[in-house]
Amino acid sequence: MLDVALVSLIKNMSEKAGIEGAIQYWSRVGENLAKRIGEEAYMGWPSFNVALKEGRTAYSIEGDVVALTDLAITDVDGDVVGYIYALETCVFTPTIERIRYSVGEIPEADRAVAEEYNNTVQNTAVCNFCVIHQKFRSEVSKNITVENQPLECVQLANRGFRGDTKIAIQSLERIGINPEYVRSLLRNYACVYGILMKGARLRGKEEAE
Amino acid sequence: MHEERLEQLGKHNPFVDVAAYLFLEDIGDKQGAAGMNNYLMSLANSLAKSMPKEEYSSWDDFLNSLQKGESIISAFETIKCPTDNCVVTQTCPFTSGWQEYTKRVGEFAGIHKEVAEFYNATIKPGAVDSQCIIHQTFRRAAAERIKVAGRRVRYAQIEAVTPNADNKRAPEEWLPILLEKAGITETELNMTMRNNDCVWILYPE
Repeated sequence: MLDVALVSLIKNMSEKAGIEGAIQYWSRVGENLAKRIGEEAYMGWPSFNVALKEGRTAYSIEGDVVALTDLAITDVDGDVVGYIYALETCVFTPTIERIRYSVGEIPEADRAVAEEYNNTVQNTAVCNFCVIHQKFRSEVSKNITVENQPLECVQLANRGFRGDTKIAIQSLERIGINPEYVRSLLRNYACVYGILMKGARLRGKEEAE
Repeated sequence: MHEERLEQLGKHNPFVDVAAYLFLEDIGDKQGAAGMNNYLMSLANSLAKSMPKEEYSSWDDFLNSLQKGESIISAFETIKCPTDNCVVTQTCPFTSGWQEYTKRVGEFAGIHKEVAEFYNATIKPGAVDSQCIIHQTFRRAAAERIKVAGRRVRYAQIEAVTPNADNKRAPEEWLPILLEKAGITETELNMTMRNNDCVWILYPE
């Protein structure tokens, strides 16, 4: 009920605080959530991936995350510095189903917030809730270490409930993954992202910081 | 059919629920209990207003729709009606969100109870925490959108218990009147609250 109520408020919030204000609100929520969940440390990628499978990591709040262990991210030396992960179901889907049943339609402000985010922050949102959980993932990565290395999360691709997709070409080039391959992943997954060691020397076009 | 629908719609999305609680806490940090209370009530009123109005030719038709979950007022919860005017919520629809919050974030932030104290003192005494404010405001606003035999439906709260077992009963001086309208005794209320989360009434204006 709370999620449906919150969605019905988006129009109201956008009118009062403006679309930019709504984006700031959502970003702060994602940031606060990441801070409140706390820190984690893993000995290596196998232990991180097992924790993820068992729903013990902060990322698990988004539902069942699948570690695509056939899609390792490697550095210039060929060492594994991360993996690609995917959500079968968007965290927003149950809310949308409840809205359709109880209210009838998604407020127009949902799309307006996503479009503004795409134009002003990064072109990766398919609905307004992408703002919260993409911010959440990027912040929570800073609180997690694998082999004592802090992590970084990069948004790669997602599919909205209307069927529209977003593919972050630059991020894919950076980690050296073919965008067409990720596009095919969207047939089965709603959201695809990479988790990698921050500062890794990637073999993609750009090096990490 | 309704049970199947609720099961299908009741799928967990802890992220959205927990994020919503933190969003409300953010409002509380910036605007205090009074500002948060306004926000919670505005949220519930917006939700009710976004749902379609209803008309029923008789109270029996309304009760039938209510118990099947077809009425807007029971769209988010599974209820039963021990009498024509008494409504019992078996499980608070906020339970799963609260459980996810306490599992993943920790103890429920104090502002959720502080805002309920503000609501009880300034609006109507009946809320245990922020969730009750949303729920009770929604029920009141939803009831106003329903007409039975041309008369508006009114709502009143009798007792609620939250997932962490805190409860709030209507004030002593109001209780006999509310129980009479509900058609139950205080003993029956106590018995009902043993394994249900909320008791409230609906009656024609």
